[in-house]
Amino acid sequence: MKNKIRKFCILLSIFIICQFTSGCYDSREIDELAYPIAIGFDKGEGKFLRMSLQIAVPTKVAGGGEGGGGGEGGQSSVSITTLETPTIYSGLNMINTYVSKQINLSHVKAIVFSEELAREGIEKYINALMRGREFRGTAYVLVAKGSGNTAEKFIREVKPELESNPAKYYEMVLNAYGYTGFTAEAKLISFYRNMTSYTTQPVAVLANVSEFEDSDDITLEYSTYKQKGRDYPLPGDYTAGNMPKVGNIKTEVMGMAVFDGARMVGELDGEETSYYLMVEGKYGYSYVTIPDPQAKDMFVLLNLKQSRKPKKRVEMVGDKPQIYIDIKLEADILSIQSGINYESIEKIGILEKATEEFVKTGIERMVKRTVEEFGSDTFGIGESIKKKFLTWDQWVAFNWKEKYRHSNINVNVDVKIRRPGQKIKTVPAHGSEKEEK
Amino acid sequence: MADFKNILKYLFLYHEPDIQEEFILKEKESEKAGKEKTSERRKEISEDKQKTDNKSKTSKESHESKLISKNLTDNIEYLKKVYSIPTNGDIVLREFEIVAKDKTIPACIIFYDGMTDRTIIDLAILQPLMLLSNLEVKDKGKELLEYISKHLLVHNQIQITQNMGKVIEDINYGGCGVFIDGIDAAFACDVKGWEHRGVDKPETESVVRGPQEGFTETLRTNTALVRKILKDEELVVEDVSVGKRSKTPCSILYIKDIVNDSLVEEVRRRLKGIKVDYIFDTGDLEQYLEDNPFMTTPQIIATERPDRVANALTEGKVAVVMSGSPFALVMPTTNIDLLQSAEDTYLRFPYVNLIRIVRMVAIFVSLLLPGLYVAITNFHHEMIPTDLLLAIEASREKVPFPSVVEILIMEFAFELIVEAGIRRPGQLGPTLGIIGALILGQAAVAANIVSPILIIIVAVTGIGSFSIPNFGLGLSFRLLRFIFIFLASVAGFLGISLGLFMYGIWSCSVKSFGVPFMAPTGPKTYSNFLEQFVRSPIWKKEKRPDYLNVKKVHKQAKISRQWSQDNKKKDKQQKYEIQK
Amino acid sequence: MEKKIIFGNREAISLLLIFMCNQLFLSFPRNMAESAGNAGWILTIYITVISLVLFLIISRLYKNFEGKDILDVAEFLGGNIGRILVGIIYVIDYVVIISVILREYGEDLKIISLVQSPISFVLALFAIGMVFGAFFGLEPLVRLGAISVPVIFLGFLITVVGSIKYFNFSNILPIFGTGLVEILIEGPSRTSVFSGLTSLFLIAPFLRSHDNFKKSGFIGLILSGLILTVGNLVYSLVLPYPSTTSNFLPIYQLSRLIEYGRFFQRIESIFVLVWSMTALIYLSAGLFFSAYIYKKTFKLEYHRPLIIPFGIIIFTLSLIPKSLMETMFIDNSIIRKYAWTVTFGLTLVLLILASIKIKVKEGRHKDEK
Repeated sequence: MKNKIRKFCILLSIFIICQFTSGCYDSREIDELAYPIAIGFDKGEGKFLRMSLQIAVPTKVAGGGEGGGGGEGGQSSVSITTLETPTIYSGLNMINTYVSKQINLSHVKAIVFSEELAREGIEKYINALMRGREFRGTAYVLVAKGSGNTAEKFIREVKPELESNPAKYYEMVLNAYGYTGFTAEAKLISFYRNMTSYTTQPVAVLANVSEFEDSDDITLEYSTYKQKGRDYPLPGDYTAGNMPKVGNIKTEVMGMAVFDGARMVGELDGEETSYYLMVEGKYGYSYVTIPDPQAKDMFVLLNLKQSRKPKKRVEMVGDKPQIYIDIKLEADILSIQSGINYESIEKIGILEKATEEFVKTGIERMVKRTVEEFGSDTFGIGESIKKKFLTWDQWVAFNWKEKYRHSNINVNVDVKIRRPGQKIKTVPAHGSEKEEK
Repeated sequence: MADFKNILKYLFLYHEPDIQEEFILKEKESEKAGKEKTSERRKEISEDKQKTDNKSKTSKESHESKLISKNLTDNIEYLKKVYSIPTNGDIVLREFEIVAKDKTIPACIIFYDGMTDRTIIDLAILQPLMLLSNLEVKDKGKELLEYISKHLLVHNQIQITQNMGKVIEDINYGGCGVFIDGIDAAFACDVKGWEHRGVDKPETESVVRGPQEGFTETLRTNTALVRKILKDEELVVEDVSVGKRSKTPCSILYIKDIVNDSLVEEVRRRLKGIKVDYIFDTGDLEQYLEDNPFMTTPQIIATERPDRVANALTEGKVAVVMSGSPFALVMPTTNIDLLQSAEDTYLRFPYVNLIRIVRMVAIFVSLLLPGLYVAITNFHHEMIPTDLLLAIEASREKVPFPSVVEILIMEFAFELIVEAGIRRPGQLGPTLGIIGALILGQAAVAANIVSPILIIIVAVTGIGSFSIPNFGLGLSFRLLRFIFIFLASVAGFLGISLGLFMYGIWSCSVKSFGVPFMAPTGPKTYSNFLEQFVRSPIWKKEKRPDYLNVKKVHKQAKISRQWSQDNKKKDKQQKYEIQK
Repeated sequence: MEKKIIFGNREAISLLLIFMCNQLFLSFPRNMAESAGNAGWILTIYITVISLVLFLIISRLYKNFEGKDILDVAEFLGGNIGRILVGIIYVIDYVVIISVILREYGEDLKIISLVQSPISFVLALFAIGMVFGAFFGLEPLVRLGAISVPVIFLGFLITVVGSIKYFNFSNILPIFGTGLVEILIEGPSRTSVFSGLTSLFLIAPFLRSHDNFKKSGFIGLILSGLILTVGNLVYSLVLPYPSTTSNFLPIYQLSRLIEYGRFFQRIESIFVLVWSMTALIYLSAGLFFSAYIYKKTFKLEYHRPLIIPFGIIIFTLSLIPKSLMETMFIDNSIIRKYAWTVTFGLTLVLLILASIKIKVKEGRHKDEK
């Protein structure tokens, strides 16, 4: 028994020695650290980088313990700092000299690159981020449109109105693509994965500060409807920043940036982004406005859903790849402005056909842009031809990326309208007709 | 320096492990192994006895080998010396005379006042001896002895002995001794009648369903309570006395044709091998009996409930009841037993499963929650959801202490309230509650000594530790919790897993009366692995635990709900008849 | 006097699983990706099949040596010299592997959570647990193994299920990765993955019968082959080929991906509990075996006094590599390429020679008759 007492004592003393001699090296109290929520990268004055950190101020966010009651107006719940630095981590070091708490990047929700930087290539930054253990793979990658220090501008303008916590703002706004279809899912991990992939190319969410200060300033000048050959803009015909809107929330996310490798090569607007999601198979549901097939200047509003994963197929005809995309959609009717009875069995086919045509032309146009304009396989179509190769070397020798630039596109869209909402037919308004009699 | 050398020696030199009883799964083998080892053990015991006999010859010898003299005055002299009469106040030595034939024979009776039943002494011993003794008696002393025992002493429990030690032992335990001149023997009559508590509700293990009787401080009442439930002639209540001076009576309870003989032998050996002057409660006894005194977890279950003891006995376990203690000890114990409450078998199985899950969570929480909190807030910030992280950071902004100190302060305050709550007189209960709630809940936060989130952690931990059914296990977790806080503060999750590993290894190596402590899981002995955590319907538990190596494995028929089968038969018959 | 240790199949299988699968948490999937590209899982299956065949031969040969461990076989074959030779080889094998893996686990945790702590501190924590575990002997270790293997497996399962939504089946195409021929050539030397099988030859006497030996060996091999294959497959499903070779801790990368809504994100630290538990059981068992083999080789009376010296030797050895890269080079290019010579090569040679000796003896007996 004595033996056991001693053993116990020895163990205890070993532990205590451990504690006192080596201490707790990594132990950091939560309140000794500062947590940036978003981090922005611009092309700096010097050769390298201008970094902006949006650091959460916990007492403002959480309302400071007792009698706060969350989000006191006036004072901002974030503190923003910007500085010039050659690299990310050295920048953090510099920031730590004047920000009292040590910077911990484990809660960064959004990583914003300015368009200039993105067009130059962001491989070195993404690699640096992935190497550190603090970054979370679920952070979103954004590209701030325009020239100049757009990332910094964007971060400075993020002043969430509905929530006191800016982290929640980023999470909610960037996850909204599930029910708007206007932004892409561009998480850091998938960005990195696609950046190194031999098939798929990465994308990022487009972001910008609204260009309109006052409702009188609003113009449709920047909209992409003319390029698409429309007479009027539909809801998706915008990219971030030029949405015809004003209000307290100045920041916008819409559309996406297309990358080739780690270099940004172009951008897609909101509508194209939702087609991108359809081809990717990540389209949730959203309200889609379709011109009425039988009444001019009237719209049909559909709640479009993706019923099945899209089928993508590539066949080589000679040296040219033939791309077949097969998309299956479902829709519920939300509104029929013209009052034409599309709900009936006879006429539903017309609406389905029109929708199919509408979506098909959109997708074809978009894919063609990626093929011809960007030359970047954003959807990972190459994945479906990979199976024809037995070994990696053969696949690399095939050089899919080069081949992709010369491919032909065949899109097949299948839309089924399932239910017409609460009304199964439109009963027209009656007032004026009575008076006439 | 010498100490250091010794420590080094203890570290580097090998010490033989204590040889423990090994149960091997198959019954026959186990019996063989058991016998071999028990025979070894018997040798040891006999050696021990010889040794102790040699040692303690001086004091004890006088009583035990002292024979009762024929001369009454000699005996009275001796008794007066032993009981230091007249200094001793509560001993009564009454001299009287028996008139037998023409002779008047002097006699005396000796007993403790207060421990004996006076009316019994008056009516069943003194009255017949003094008044009804003038019947014809032959002259010879031996026949006088027989005559008195067979005709005069109308009391129901009488022992005749020639040994003075035996009489003294009985007197000490509420009996009375009757000495008669001319006879070299004495009568030890069992007239126990001290004040005691009646059978009451078990205070510490209350249940909603099930019997509401608890053990009392009286040995025979306790054994009777168990026998009342079991009603089995194979139930053996074997008496042993523990304590060199106190000679506290204990009983080993077991069911003869179920229990493994080597287990009973082991319990007997350990009980007899306790060399101590006095013993007061089964709490003491437990510490003398258990295999591994340094293990924090209890290795013997102490229970207040006769039904629980009875249940354990039917499984093939052994119980020890001690006079003066309302707690019975049940052994061997495995970790699963500690997690079960008496109610578990009485409730229907779906409810029990819910309760079991709650209990598992309670154990996890009471052991690890503060440690995890420290680990997460000090090492693994990234896994806290951002909203919660900012809330914690905001609430900790004005707190001056590091979170380890903070949690230690609160845990200590909590332990303080618990301790005070047990010791305080009944009337002060509400006051204590108010002080505790106010100081810990409100004021500490308002004064920025601790953060509000920590209050929740400590409160949940506290509640968790009280919902563990076994009191000892709850205490053990309250102790281990501090070790885990410490480990977490050193290395975060790595520290915690190091702690869990060490605790796990230790638990796996411990044995309780030859049964591995982690039995049904550690060495897997039972085919139904989940059975131990999740309870299946009661009629599915057909076998007794495998690790006990009992003589009869099945405790109910394959189909114990025989009536359901009968019904089916009837139905078939009926159909058959109708078809006819 | 040593206690007679006996344990069941379940405990033996758990021990084997821990011995063979712990590298899944280290760099194993990356090694496979480096050898076979995106077809690492095919390589793993191939290795498993080779090992199963080899083990089939071994278990056939072992039939004559029921209840004997590999050292007894060596003694039967070559007397004291044979035993000492084989014993020393085994001790070196164990000590080197354990020290490298100790270092890797230390580095592993240093990268995951204890960034600022010196490596010696992290290693010391492991070493304390290792010595503590080995002190209590094999029996509690295998019991704890039997309890914790389901928990560890559950942790692994959560990682797999959590990363399901990142699966991209085109990642494992082209199906043969760097080429079938290369896989075929690479395979045999990669059977070193199952070097943990040596522990089975050491616990053979504790397993009561040859049937148990065979059964636990096969089940252990098949299960661990399965787990390693699934681990590899999941890893290459989630990440495309070139980047699979870039991660130091593949399974940790997978666990980083797990997220359930906004609340459960970055819960990879919880897996520290699982991994370090695996590591501690593995290291303690390894340390116990090194001491035990040493004891048996030189016919010493006790093994316990050897534990602390061996612990210190392993701890010191683990500090020798200058960097993580060097450790990984040793692990990947030396141990995982040549350990099979001890696991399968040496065992097979010993058993074949011993079987021949038995037959020769029998022949003599017959002649005498």
